[in-house]
Amino acid sequence: MTTYTICVFTENSIGLLNKITIIFTRRRINIESLTVSETERKGISRFTIVIKHEKREEVEKLVRQIRKIIEVLAVFGYLNEDIVYNEIALFKISTPLNGKSVDVETINKVYKAWVVYWGLDYVVIEKTGTETEIFEFFKYIKPHGIIEFVRSGRVAVGKTPQGLIEYLPEEITEWEYYL
Amino acid sequence: MGNLLEIELKQETLAAPAQAKEGQTFLSGAQAMMECLLAESVDNIFGYPGGAIMPTYDALYDYIDRIKHTLVRHEQGAGHAAQGYARVSGRTGVCLVTSGPGGTNLITPIADAIIDCTPMVCIVGQVKSNLLGTDAFQETDMIGVTTPVCKWNYQITDPDEVPEIMAKAFFIAKSGKPGPVVIDFARDAQAAKMTKPFVYKKVEKMVSYSPRVVPKQDQIEKAAELINKAKRPYILFGHGVLIADAVQELLDFVEKTDIPCASTLLGLSAMPNNHSNYMGWLGMHGMYAPNVMTDECDVLIAIGMRFDDRVTGDSTKFAKQARIVHIEIDPSEVDKIKKAEAPVIGDAKEALKMLMPLVKKGDFTGWKNEFRKLDVKEYDKVTLRDLGQEGKIKMAEVVALLSDKTNGEACIVVDVGQHQMVTARYYQFKKANSFIASGGLGTMGFAIPASFGAKVGAPDREVVGIIGDGCFQMTIQELGTIAQSGLAVKMIILNNNFLGMVRQWQQLFFDNRYSFVELQNPDFITIARGFGIDGHTCTERENLSNSLDKMLDSKKAYLLEVIVEKEENVFPMVPAGTSVSEIRLE
Ligand SMILES: Cc1ncc(C[n+]2csc(CCOP(=O)(O)OP(=O)(O)O)c2C)c(N)n1
Ligand SMILES: [Mg+2]
Repeated sequence: MTTYTICVFTENSIGLLNKITIIFTRRRINIESLTVSETERKGISRFTIVIKHEKREEVEKLVRQIRKIIEVLAVFGYLNEDIVYNEIALFKISTPLNGKSVDVETINKVYKAWVVYWGLDYVVIEKTGTETEIFEFFKYIKPHGIIEFVRSGRVAVGKTPQGLIEYLPEEITEWEYYL
Repeated sequence: MGNLLEIELKQETLAAPAQAKEGQTFLSGAQAMMECLLAESVDNIFGYPGGAIMPTYDALYDYIDRIKHTLVRHEQGAGHAAQGYARVSGRTGVCLVTSGPGGTNLITPIADAIIDCTPMVCIVGQVKSNLLGTDAFQETDMIGVTTPVCKWNYQITDPDEVPEIMAKAFFIAKSGKPGPVVIDFARDAQAAKMTKPFVYKKVEKMVSYSPRVVPKQDQIEKAAELINKAKRPYILFGHGVLIADAVQELLDFVEKTDIPCASTLLGLSAMPNNHSNYMGWLGMHGMYAPNVMTDECDVLIAIGMRFDDRVTGDSTKFAKQARIVHIEIDPSEVDKIKKAEAPVIGDAKEALKMLMPLVKKGDFTGWKNEFRKLDVKEYDKVTLRDLGQEGKIKMAEVVALLSDKTNGEACIVVDVGQHQMVTARYYQFKKANSFIASGGLGTMGFAIPASFGAKVGAPDREVVGIIGDGCFQMTIQELGTIAQSGLAVKMIILNNNFLGMVRQWQQLFFDNRYSFVELQNPDFITIARGFGIDGHTCTERENLSNSLDKMLDSKKAYLLEVIVEKEENVFPMVPAGTSVSEIRLE
């Protein structure tokens, strides 16, 4: 299984998420993660969808099917080496009064994670990184007792010098920039 | 006449709405919808009223002199009628139905239209926008339900949106690879007044959607090179040629290059069947030579077709030796089933025009003769039997005789089953857009409403529906629509008292276990008469010719029922999932 990251640029309209995801379900492809946000240009959304697949050809076909949705402006499919990508995770860790205190220095220096909230008997730690890095940290922090853990979908940018938006149909370049 | 009407409609459009008189309010959403239809030169719509679409039907009442509306008997009928209309005329079919069950009854035709690339705009009523999501009376999530089966859908909740959205709807439905568009029209948006004057701007391009019509020159050159080098080239053309109105271009191309060609089921009638380069059609029940020769050609030129599994059988074994040129408007179809060495993305008409000056004049007499040799085998094993004058009347005889009597110029609408395949085999088409079938979805019940729609779209043509006894009962209520319209739609039931195609499979692949395929049929003629349509039954061969004459001579709608051999099988046959080399002739 190879991991593919599919970036979809769309007009910002209702129901588009459904239109995109049914293309995956119909082909029985499981979505590993999905992130949607507005891009640097107003009115254009960016979907980042991570899937695992054995056949590159099938992923190429999938990309073309997504492109076919009327409101979709452009679709790009990437292998991990083509992109810079990250996820963000939040860990709610229990820190009872007489329990073992968290080693903030190791957390910061070794794991590049930050305590973002101090509760009375818990802390919230934010860790940004790849899936592997997040799970390494997960293993490290687990003995403290994880009350809650959440991991975001992947966000990714291409390693090409240009922005992906430059590939979009010409007319859009006239659109207002999002500040 | 069509033109005159169009001009009138346009003048109306310009004159009526834009200048609101002093103190006068603007158009309602429903009125705006009617103006959009006029602006798109829509002259016929098919529909069925109900609660959530009533404001639009009320607006329609003021437009009935300009927009002809047909009241069907079931919304599925409206959809298939719109399809028949679109397929024969090349124009966009329009349906108007209510919310909930009205919309869901339209799902089958929508699914049929997307897979057979039929331009259609379906306007579906919806509950008031403040009730959306509350399980209100007759509320169905039409956007959710239709998304997987339509080309585009949109929910209108504000009357001001109407012109812009409808302009997009008509553009999307008709352009590129055509398909159905669903407009979910909230009742309050129909009733409320616009806040500005009605202005309609036709859409010709959208930022997110502008299908390539003119292919890239380098793709054309590569294709031409491959074609020119071929020793045994073979053209397979499909529905795309008809959709692109490229019938003349195909003929010119074939005549210049002398390349033998064959049609897919839906490409039928794009080439006159008596042309010396036309080898027949291919597919599961297609002809012997066209199927077998896919294994013999060195270059396969696929034009406006998509290598459907009913064409290829086992696609991994299909035309394995061939280098493929694929002319196709939808980029997602290229390499989907068969890898193309020379893909040409664009409209078939433009592509053929651009290829013409680059391709060599050819003479493939020897290569064409190889097809003809195989034809002899098919004739001996299949055709002779099918047309043999023994025992009960055979479906093939009826179709062959009808073909003679109509000089191959009728518009033939078929349903789904043995009668469909036999018709495709034995009608000798001479005119384009003359074979209308549900190909991709195989929707039983297609033919009665689609025949009606075709007659609306081409009132001057002889339209003949050829329908199975099973299929006829799926949309039999549309006889009422036909009767009320007064149109002279001709229908033939090829009655074998069986769900014949399924029976054939049970016989051949399920060990003769006939599981629920025998029908107890009604008296079809009495039913037709009950609807006000005359007809008669033909049981004997010696009456067949007269029977067909009687039907064809009728100035009104007519139903001819022919009692045919019960357990006849359709051959050749490429059993599902096998390769064309395993084609069976008996
Ligand atoms: C709506 C629908 N249901 C079921 C089928 C499966 N099916 C395909 S052909 C066929 C039999 C059609 O019978 P009839 O209309 O009598 O035609 P015949 O094959 O006998 O000519 C059936 C049931 C279908 N294609 N469509
Ligand atoms: Mg039958």
